[in-house]
Amino acid sequence: MMLALLLVAAQVGTDPRLDRLDPDTRAQVTTVLDSARHVGLPTEPLIQRALEGATKAAPGPRIVAAVRRLSADLGVARTALGTEASAPELEAGVAALRAGAPSQVLASLRSVRRHPLTMALSLLADLVASGVPADSAAAAVLALAPKARDADLVEFRRAVERDIALGAPPGAATSVRVNAGADIQSAGSTPGAQPRPRRP
Amino acid sequence: MFDQEDDVVQRVIQQLRRPVGIDPALDARVMQAIATPRPPARGLWPWLAAAAVLVSLIIWRPWSRSSEAEAATFQFVLVAPQANSVSLVGDFNDWDPKRSPMRTANGIWATVVQLAPGRYRYAFLVNGAEWRADPSAPTIPAPDDEFGKPSSVVTVGGTGS
Repeated sequence: MMLALLLVAAQVGTDPRLDRLDPDTRAQVTTVLDSARHVGLPTEPLIQRALEGATKAAPGPRIVAAVRRLSADLGVARTALGTEASAPELEAGVAALRAGAPSQVLASLRSVRRHPLTMALSLLADLVASGVPADSAAAAVLALAPKARDADLVEFRRAVERDIALGAPPGAATSVRVNAGADIQSAGSTPGAQPRPRRP
Repeated sequence: MFDQEDDVVQRVIQQLRRPVGIDPALDARVMQAIATPRPPARGLWPWLAAAAVLVSLIIWRPWSRSSEAEAATFQFVLVAPQANSVSLVGDFNDWDPKRSPMRTANGIWATVVQLAPGRYRYAFLVNGAEWRADPSAPTIPAPDDEFGKPSSVVTVGGTGS
């Protein structure tokens, strides 16, 4: 009877989506979630990482390790971006940190950009993933961040990726596109144009 | 013909020149109506106030999250002529293959999803077993891919920035 009550009590705080995990993995992930919640970190990214692991049929220990690592990185990102950072900013900050951006770059971005940092941080991570050296990517994003809109940053990434696909060295492609700043000013939506679904 | 018209005109003029007979008590009634205080039109103001509140709520929509208001429509496409089924799974649908099944036309699989601003990991699940990244989007790099299956990433920015 007492055991049943304890089990019920333990289940009360568990997100029902985590029922896709095996009981042991679920319990460990729930512990990580509780710790994150206790220090004010967003838990939804952690839940999604656990669900990704479950859908990809990853072993329980690997899922727990991924969730723990993400929780720790969210904490580092918050230290760099400040306690006011939103959950999407923190997730993008984690991606930028894992791509090799120093914490100081994140803090600098916070100081120079008025808009939310999610797109700028993602651009940094995506440029590095495209082969751009981390320091070049950071310099480019810091140069663009003060004035570029989110749509401009998306267009910038696509332009760099196009240049790389055409054979340009990643670092050089980034530098050229940063210097040709006029290219990023024309990415806004056309007035009166019909809204169409975007592509990733 | 002109004589007839002149006759009509003369009759109209005579009619207009007739003195107007006004009731002698009219002035007194007008002054009394002005002096009497009008009761407030209670029936109208509550409705006007309610309408104003309703319009404010419709414009403000406090029940909708701002992220929902900024949600953008994204189309995901995968060319897989040999596939029998393709599902889109990611951070936006709890990685549940049943939530976003893709439709095909001549081997081109597509689906449309509403996404609020944020950074999302996602992948295509082909035939319920084969994982594919989106060839038209940035791929999750190896150090960030803990599960050994390819994934892509899409970032949704704010509309106002």
